[in-house]
Amino acid sequence: MITARSLTKRYGEHVVLDSLDMDVPRGQRVALLGLNGAGKTTLLRCLLGLSRFDGSLTLDGLAAGSGSEGRSVRAQVGYVPQQPPRYDFRLSEFVEFFCRIRGCPAAGAERILEDLGLSLATDGGKKLRELSGGMLQKALLAVAMGSGAPVLLLDEPTASLDPSARRDFLNAVRTAPSDLTLLFASHRLDDVEALADRAIILEAGKFAFDGSLEELWRRTGVERLARSDGSDAPPVLEDILARIIRDAEPGRDTEPPAEIENFDPGPRLYVENDK
Amino acid sequence: MSAVRLLARRELQDSVRTYWFLVYSGVFVVGGLLLMVLGGAQSTVLGYRGFARAIAGLMHLALFVVPLMALFPAASALAGEREVGTLDYLMAQPVTRRQIFAGKWLGVWGAVVLALAVGFGSTGFVATLRGVSPALVLGLFVFTVLLATAFASLGLLLSAASPSARRANSIGITVWLVFLTLGSLGVMSAFIRWGLPEWVLTGWALLNPIEACRLAVLPLLDSDANLLGPVGAALFASLGRGGLIAAATASLLGWTALGLLAGSRLFQNEER
Repeated sequence: MITARSLTKRYGEHVVLDSLDMDVPRGQRVALLGLNGAGKTTLLRCLLGLSRFDGSLTLDGLAAGSGSEGRSVRAQVGYVPQQPPRYDFRLSEFVEFFCRIRGCPAAGAERILEDLGLSLATDGGKKLRELSGGMLQKALLAVAMGSGAPVLLLDEPTASLDPSARRDFLNAVRTAPSDLTLLFASHRLDDVEALADRAIILEAGKFAFDGSLEELWRRTGVERLARSDGSDAPPVLEDILARIIRDAEPGRDTEPPAEIENFDPGPRLYVENDK
Repeated sequence: MSAVRLLARRELQDSVRTYWFLVYSGVFVVGGLLLMVLGGAQSTVLGYRGFARAIAGLMHLALFVVPLMALFPAASALAGEREVGTLDYLMAQPVTRRQIFAGKWLGVWGAVVLALAVGFGSTGFVATLRGVSPALVLGLFVFTVLLATAFASLGLLLSAASPSARRANSIGITVWLVFLTLGSLGVMSAFIRWGLPEWVLTGWALLNPIEACRLAVLPLLDSDANLLGPVGAALFASLGRGGLIAAATASLLGWTALGLLAGSRLFQNEER
């Protein structure tokens, strides 16, 4: 469904995505992981036609880009950005406008909003800037999923959500139709566990890991202790990234980056295997 | 409803909600009616010509205000959204950049024309009641709209090229000042000071959209070209009334085309 061949993105001399090949079949749920600046968001932006790239990136054979073919790609993609756009809209206007732009009735988005605990009848008159980050993310998700788009792109969507909003958000995505293809960037291992069945770790523009979650746990020597969705447990993803990155680049300094070394993971949901 | 129409309608609604729409409409209504009252006082002495001069005064008010009225909202249209991060979200939807550009332009243009229609409409109504030809009022309105169209296009070009609304508006004010201060008098000073050839003077007068609008409108008011000034009078003498109006119209349309084509191309090729 989503196919990348020699996908390369440069900002001047800096290579963000380095000749990547990727196939994501319909219905697969893929977590994009990596340190800040690894290229997760850039990969999503390329598919949305927001960033130019070399190589090819297609969705069902349609080339991603800013032109009319790219528009056909975007018609099949619902998108929730990390930072909610601060439109001077009321909630109901926002939902109606973007549903119309997407060529779908607002009823689907309204239904999802209600599942997420928001109602246009009571909250529709509120200005977007009056809404909390969680409410905004819910509105974005409702518009993205309400159009029935077969692909959903989420860019660190729960980063600013409180535990309750995160639980609602994850539930809404998890209970989406099984043929929904999901590609999401995240820094939270519990989000990954709740939503993904495949993980891709980006490092220095390349895939340092691409496989199932079970393979990821095995490779990194951790196993799950308890299901984490719904909790507000701090992430321990950085530990896993550090291990994968060191494995992928044996010649590299084996010390984790300072940001990882100094990271306090808090109470762990995962422990190392005894092997 | 097509994406362009949806985007244009939203832009129009956003523009009409802002204070500038009320301010500019108010300036035209109050300024126009004031000029009509003064023209009415003159008309007891000068007859119809008194009202014609009042209309000419309204035209000069328009030459001053209309470019700003079109530049500011257009310059903010793309750059403002880029600045607050809403443009990316819009571009992630199933619309092309060309559609976004067209929708923004139509929306801003519609709001400006609406403000002009309110201002000119009330003044024009009073003027026609007092004997001024409706065709004359309509002609003034059409050329004012052409001037607004040119500056809306230039504003959107600046918006496509600028990272923030503040930057786009700053450049817009500079452009406006250049065109305003380097009208025929400014260029004539340079002409006298440096002995520039005559074609520079007349060419600039036609190339400058504010001056071009003035040159297109004043022959409608005054068949003797008394109000045109020396450069306009020279052009009037060489091109004739129809030729001068046609050349000035072509200049305004040319600026419109330049703004739209260059702005659209910049926006589509913008690297992000």
